Amino acid sequence: MASAAEKSTKERLLAVVEDLEVLSRELIEMLALSRSQKLLQTGEDVQVLQLLVQRDREFQELMEVAQQQGTVHQEMQLLEKEVEKRDSDIQQLQKQLKEAEHILATAVYQAKEKLKSIDKARKGSISSEEIIKYAHRISASNAVCAPLNWVPGDPRRPYPTDLEMRSGMLGHMANMPTNGVNGHLPGDALAAGRLPDVLTPHYPWQSSDVSVGMLPPHHGNDFGLEPPGHNKENEDDVEAMSTDSSSSSSDSD
Amino acid sequence: METEEQARTRFQSELEFIQCLANPNYLNFLAQRGFLRERPFINYLKYLLYWKEPEYAKFLKYPHCLHMLELLQYEHFRKELVNAQCAKFIDEQQLLHWQHYSRKRTRLQQALAEQQQQAQQPPHGNATAK
Repeated sequence: MASAAEKSTKERLLAVVEDLEVLSRELIEMLALSRSQKLLQTGEDVQVLQLLVQRDREFQELMEVAQQQGTVHQEMQLLEKEVEKRDSDIQQLQKQLKEAEHILATAVYQAKEKLKSIDKARKGSISSEEIIKYAHRISASNAVCAPLNWVPGDPRRPYPTDLEMRSGMLGHMANMPTNGVNGHLPGDALAAGRLPDVLTPHYPWQSSDVSVGMLPPHHGNDFGLEPPGHNKENEDDVEAMSTDSSSSSSDSD
Repeated sequence: METEEQARTRFQSELEFIQCLANPNYLNFLAQRGFLRERPFINYLKYLLYWKEPEYAKFLKYPHCLHMLELLQYEHFRKELVNAQCAKFIDEQQLLHWQHYSRKRTRLQQALAEQQQQAQQPPHGNATAK
């Protein structure tokens, strides 16, 4: 751009105008003097006139330059306005693009969630017939719903009673005498690993109708080793069962 | 390697054992004899979680055992089971829950009977209200 030494057009114009002013004042003074004194200066008036003409020419040139600069400046302003307009257009498009991206991202996310839940549902799908069969099985035997004529004193329970436990396969596997409320110790059954006597199970909860072909998952038979995975030691998840909670067995009816 | 016969026996014994866990008195028994503190037993309880899968769960006659098994995974629960009061509390709550559906059903039946009674009264004309 303009170096520090270059003066702006305005300054130059002002300088020339000042010069003109000075020169014209000199000329007028000279004329006034020469009229009163009737003396002719040697060529000074011509010099002054020449300088005057020269300055006037400079002035005219500078005015043209100034005019050109003015047009250029106007064009610049127009272009700046255009640039501003384009800028705002771009910003508007940017905003819309951002919005669209956001909406699409949400849509994609929701679609993914839907797909996940569809997969989950498909994985857990069981035939309704089986569910009904099972529901009938556990309800008919009063395992999940008390019999309608149940009164306190009725020996039936939602869990296998001592008698049922002792007469099962596990009960017969353990050779230890029954002590306490319940008869058998699971450790024995595992450690023994021997085949039990062939006994007809008395209760349907001990055998399964379709146990043929159904096998438990294989395990290394050594539960002393730490299994992989985390232990549920998270106390926050467990409702604390305080031992001094007052018995709340009163019937709510 | 175990034979198929052994595997079937193991299946049956594990089926019996897991259902025994539905009995809070039995759980108290196990806790008092220190079984619930032994690491191999705890690992065994974790292994038994396979009964939650539908293809195994369909053999369970007493489904309460699954809930007990889940609770048994927590150390806090295992520790509390040593107290007889705790076991008694669980037993009572279990029985109440067991009776819940039959009570609800009787209540519904009563409500239905009352409704029918009320519906029958107005058509009998200007009989004196009870």
